[in-house]
Amino acid sequence: MIKIFQSEFFKLRKKLRTWLGPLLIMVLVLIAFPLSIDISQYDLNRFYFSIIVVALLMISFLSTEGIFLEDYEDGSLEQVYLVEQDFYKFVLAKVLTFVLLIGVPMAGIGSVFSILNGISINEVPKIFFMMFLSNLLLFNLFAFGSSLSINKGAILGVLATLPLALPIIILLGRGVRTIQYGIGFEGVMALMVGSGLLVTSIMPLIISATLKTHLE
Amino acid sequence: MSLITANRISYTINNKKLFHNLSFTIDAGSALHIKGGNGSGKSTLLRILLGITTPSKGKIELLKPNTKITYLGHKNAIKNYLTPIENLKLIFHQSSLESALDWFQRLGLSRVQDEISANLSFGQQKKLALIRVLAAPADLIVLDEPFVGLDDSSRNLLNKYLQESISKGSSLALTSHIRPEIISKELMLENFSND
Repeated sequence: MIKIFQSEFFKLRKKLRTWLGPLLIMVLVLIAFPLSIDISQYDLNRFYFSIIVVALLMISFLSTEGIFLEDYEDGSLEQVYLVEQDFYKFVLAKVLTFVLLIGVPMAGIGSVFSILNGISINEVPKIFFMMFLSNLLLFNLFAFGSSLSINKGAILGVLATLPLALPIIILLGRGVRTIQYGIGFEGVMALMVGSGLLVTSIMPLIISATLKTHLE
Repeated sequence: MSLITANRISYTINNKKLFHNLSFTIDAGSALHIKGGNGSGKSTLLRILLGITTPSKGKIELLKPNTKITYLGHKNAIKNYLTPIENLKLIFHQSSLESALDWFQRLGLSRVQDEISANLSFGQQKKLALIRVLAAPADLIVLDEPFVGLDDSSRNLLNKYLQESISKGSSLALTSHIRPEIISKELMLENFSND
């Protein structure tokens, strides 16, 4: 498992465009949006967090679109199957690598920008942790979408799973409100941690079966 | 002793039977050369042997538990954005990396070790991919057109390796339009086609 994780981490780290591109786009969106409107006319605090959440959703969506495509096209999936006889560890390592190299920095960027939303600096770690968990859920979900239509343009599958991302976004929004009002944060957090663990352990099984079907 | 038995296997795709009622065994220390024209199902049969593809009918049995298999198919499983050495480090554990690097030298790839794999020629990429098989001793070696793109010396080296592996007890299943210089049983897929 460690060897698979190290390999996946090394591969993704070498593909600068794959992990740095989404992060730069996120920063660009979060900077460009306030500049593109006349902020003197609007109360930015009221809706800026929504922009962060939408950026989070879109960047997760875009960065996972080709998560399995390269391995499918160059024959690596077949080699993984021969050694492991399924893709569970491979998928787990792949998704966690994406979360680590893209999801965690995204959560960091989102947390820093949430200060503009009136979140006090003391609350930033809470926001970071919540965004990290949201990313964990979103990356698992979109990785599943990507695996659905891997050889027919993965964007189709990712689009199909997009509606399933809405509860995650609602949960994230609710979590932010609990931080703003200072009540019920632990409850939302427990729900997100539980969902994160559940999805991270079950989703690789489902994705593994889907990938096997594509190899047939 | 048999390593694999195939019992009356058939494979149908898009209502076309590629092969029908195909039975054979591969013994330990023997080779099976699968022959046939383009589209006759040679690669599919190899994938069925490996368990990647499920036959439409029939059964494949691996008789030895935990059989160690090495495989090189049409796709090289090489990462184009990495150097050849980085590719080998991805494939091999530290313990077997030395053997892989030895093969890397023997196949004349040392001079391109700092190049990105995308810049290697087709033959060089093929050699790099073959190291996956050459540096990892296995009970069963499965090769799909392994000689395509190789120069004469590499072809000889591969033939010699395969013959040595077979004499040590490994089994080999391969497809090749270029006749391998090893003693092997031949399986002509057209004989099992319904068309």
